[in-house]
Amino acid sequence: MAEESFLGDDFLRQLMSVGEVDLLVGVPTYNNASTLGQTLYGVEESLRQNFVRERAVILNVDGGSTDETRQLFMQSAERSDAGHRGLTSLRTIHRISCEYGTAPSHGLALHNIVAAADLLRAKACAVISPTTTNLTPSWVVNLLRPVYRESLDFVAPLYARSRFQGLLARNLLYPMRRAIFGQRIREIYCEEWGFSGRLASQCLEKDVWREEAVRARPEAWMAITAIGGGLKCGQSFVGPKMAPPTGTDIVEIIRQTVGNFLWCMETNQPQWLSRSDSQPVPTFGPDHELSLDGIPPSQEKIFELFRSGVSELEPILASILAQDTHAQIKAVALSDRSKFHFPLALWVRTVYEFAASYHHTVLNRDHLVQALVPLYRGQLCSFLLEHANASAEAMEAQSELLCREFERQKPYLVERWKLKR
Amino acid sequence: MQNVPAPPSVISNPQQENSALILQDENLWYKDAVIYQLHVRTFCDSNGDGVGDFRGLTGKLDYLQELGINAVWLLPFYPSPLRDDGYDIADYTSVLPAYGTLQDFKDFLAAAHNRRIRVITEMVVNHTSDQHPWFQEARSSRDNSKRDWYVWSDTDSRYQGVRIIFPGTEMSNWAWDPISKSYYWHRFFSHQPDLNYDNPAVREAMWEVMKFWLDTGVDGFRLDAVPYLIEREGTSCANLPETHEIIRDFRRRIDAAYPGKMLLAEANQRPADIRSYFGNGDEFHMAFHFPLMPRMFMAVKLEDRKPIIEILEQTPQIPDTCQWCIFLRNHDELTLEMVTDVERDYMYDEYAVDKAMRIYLGIRRRLAPMMENDRRRMELLSGLLLSLPGTPVIYYGDEIGMGDNVYLGDRNGVRTPMQWNGGWNAGFSSADPERLYSPLISNPVYGYQAINVDSQRRSAHSLLSWTKSVIQTRNAFRVFSRGSIEFLNPSNHRVLAYVRCLGEEKVLVVNNLSSSAQAVELNLQAYKKHIPIEMFGRNLFPRIGDLPYLLTLGPYQFYWFRLRRI
Repeated sequence: MAEESFLGDDFLRQLMSVGEVDLLVGVPTYNNASTLGQTLYGVEESLRQNFVRERAVILNVDGGSTDETRQLFMQSAERSDAGHRGLTSLRTIHRISCEYGTAPSHGLALHNIVAAADLLRAKACAVISPTTTNLTPSWVVNLLRPVYRESLDFVAPLYARSRFQGLLARNLLYPMRRAIFGQRIREIYCEEWGFSGRLASQCLEKDVWREEAVRARPEAWMAITAIGGGLKCGQSFVGPKMAPPTGTDIVEIIRQTVGNFLWCMETNQPQWLSRSDSQPVPTFGPDHELSLDGIPPSQEKIFELFRSGVSELEPILASILAQDTHAQIKAVALSDRSKFHFPLALWVRTVYEFAASYHHTVLNRDHLVQALVPLYRGQLCSFLLEHANASAEAMEAQSELLCREFERQKPYLVERWKLKR
Repeated sequence: MQNVPAPPSVISNPQQENSALILQDENLWYKDAVIYQLHVRTFCDSNGDGVGDFRGLTGKLDYLQELGINAVWLLPFYPSPLRDDGYDIADYTSVLPAYGTLQDFKDFLAAAHNRRIRVITEMVVNHTSDQHPWFQEARSSRDNSKRDWYVWSDTDSRYQGVRIIFPGTEMSNWAWDPISKSYYWHRFFSHQPDLNYDNPAVREAMWEVMKFWLDTGVDGFRLDAVPYLIEREGTSCANLPETHEIIRDFRRRIDAAYPGKMLLAEANQRPADIRSYFGNGDEFHMAFHFPLMPRMFMAVKLEDRKPIIEILEQTPQIPDTCQWCIFLRNHDELTLEMVTDVERDYMYDEYAVDKAMRIYLGIRRRLAPMMENDRRRMELLSGLLLSLPGTPVIYYGDEIGMGDNVYLGDRNGVRTPMQWNGGWNAGFSSADPERLYSPLISNPVYGYQAINVDSQRRSAHSLLSWTKSVIQTRNAFRVFSRGSIEFLNPSNHRVLAYVRCLGEEKVLVVNNLSSSAQAVELNLQAYKKHIPIEMFGRNLFPRIGDLPYLLTLGPYQFYWFRLRRI
């Protein structure tokens, strides 16, 4: 019996009507009726003003909204066409919408988007989040243009951050990814990014879409696929991001992001095991922008969670970490909070030992990833204690030190990774 | 005065279908016309002097009849210094000797009428040549009785800010006359002084000119550059109310003395501005739809129906007795005045990448080279021309896919001799080739040895044969010339689909604007149970039912379907 296609007939019919395009902008939605209008305005204006000759489609992939998100998407298409008659865009800016399921899924949403990109032979694509309340037309062009004009295959966003935003990326995800895969891309766990039709086609061919790591954070998997595949990657500044809080806790975030990353390491070993340094990537706009505003999270609570975690998870940590590393962490956890310091070298070694243990499946991988949470809290607490009043430059300098430490210790990771158990 | 023989009340359908063309209102002939635009100079030289003439043209009327056109629009054939291809007239009531005599013209007219072909001539009303006796008198002395027939000024500062139509060639709309030591107004070239229509004597003189030709038997006039007849300080000196009053005056006189004669406006304006030239059905009978033309080319290049739909949606309704005149190419540059800067840049980049192809605000190329000699695209554009609302104008040579020569200067590259055969001078003239008024197109792709009437006549599948067939089909169904239009809006924007309706006669037109095969689903619920009959092959297609009607089209393919309820 033939395998059923994940593309619905109605969606296929819409794709057929659109035909080949130059640009595709995907907007995954789930009950976003309240903010969708602003997003669509930004996307459409960007296409009108910056890509007047190009064939473009805005694709809504919906996870079963119950607030008429899809209807709003199609209705505003009719309105916008009437309102802009003959002003700029020479071609029709198509809008199509599909419902991929009855529950939201990042992976399914992206699967539909890359399938559409492949079928429509899109040259440049972007995914835009409808929850970003301050999206402007420049966001879209900044993500699309490097792909369309500069032939990049993956374009990560660079956001303007307050000092206390993006701490997980700063203290773990970026430095580790940079050391492992050798490219200095700051953000790959993001809600907005750009990619080429070529990358979309490559991703579509891979039989990984049912993997949990891909379903949870498909954008990062896509980025690593591009990096690992030797495609051209870059990053583009889009500005500050404002979005309502998602309510997702740090445990879930680490499960998704670190879990995804370790899975990507596992499945892309040939691409990183022999790589020893990191290279800057093409960057459009400022490399980063850090503002001094923002309130630091409570260090006291974080410290307590670190300390209790080290204690409660001792047997699990013992199975993951080298004896010496585990001993040092326990010693750090016993120190007084006012003198607390989690050394960078120890943090990096800890992370690498987690990665190697993930590879060797010393225990359930999901449990393993969750066991990193208290240790991350220790590193975070140390960072906050030392940089609560630091300048943006000082924080950046600290980040660079961490990145280099990850790079310096990479041979250690490789050694443990290759260790036969 | 000669008249077109009254056509029979019923013309049998060449395809012997049951849709006889019933001509109820003879005076509205222009609505059902397919006009062929030509220049006497370019068509056929009967006396071997290298220049086309009326006798030569008369000898080619069988060809035009065979083509299926039923009106000819002649470019200016009057005595002229020919500094603007005859639009600089030095004598309104004679024929340029190189083209023949007045009697030759009359003979041509009679022969055309005998073939039921109407003749439309040029009436350049806005200006004369500076060699015209009127201007010679006017400039001779400030006291001359003709002085006030033109627009004079002691300074060149009047009417500041008025657009210059030929930027790059003309620096000002005023030119200094060293004889009478004053400035004269000219909207076009400086050797074309504008007539002063505030002077009633000028209007009377121009009416006398019109009467002269109407009495000779011409069927209508194309009035050149009509928006610019009147000048007023503080205005754009275009489309002024006084201009419309002059037009209405001419129209009143024509309707009273010469019913059935037609006035066609050349007003390169936006649809809303052109609309005013129809008045309440008391100004022009027809006007060119300039903005539509570049958008047809854009739509095919963009592979998107948006430019055509947008401009037709912006096109206002016109009185019942009026009609738009639509065209693809003509003797001038493909004008890009009526498009946005973005659209103009696109057109230049796509159709005139070589700067030599550009002139003024337009492109001096013919249809076939613009379409890269792609038969499918030429046919698609011709199909649009013949199926969209309006009276179509076909530029001479486009029916065989003639090429151009952009290096001949001005717009002369699209005014080369008609290519009749592959022999001496393409069959245009027996003169020595060096004597021809213009070099022939002679390159291997578009040259007369490759592209000519005789060779295409021998092939049932040539562009010429196809063009005859499509004109014949159009002529057989009055819905094309007089029917309403309703655009279907299939989700596939590469497809332009519309239904033309006239009473019970309904035609569905579906055009694939793209270079790839397309599928399209049409909502034809309003025509449920109708049977689409493809009009060229007369094949039946599946009856329209409850579901969207699915069609597939090859690259640049189009269908014309009669919708019949049987």
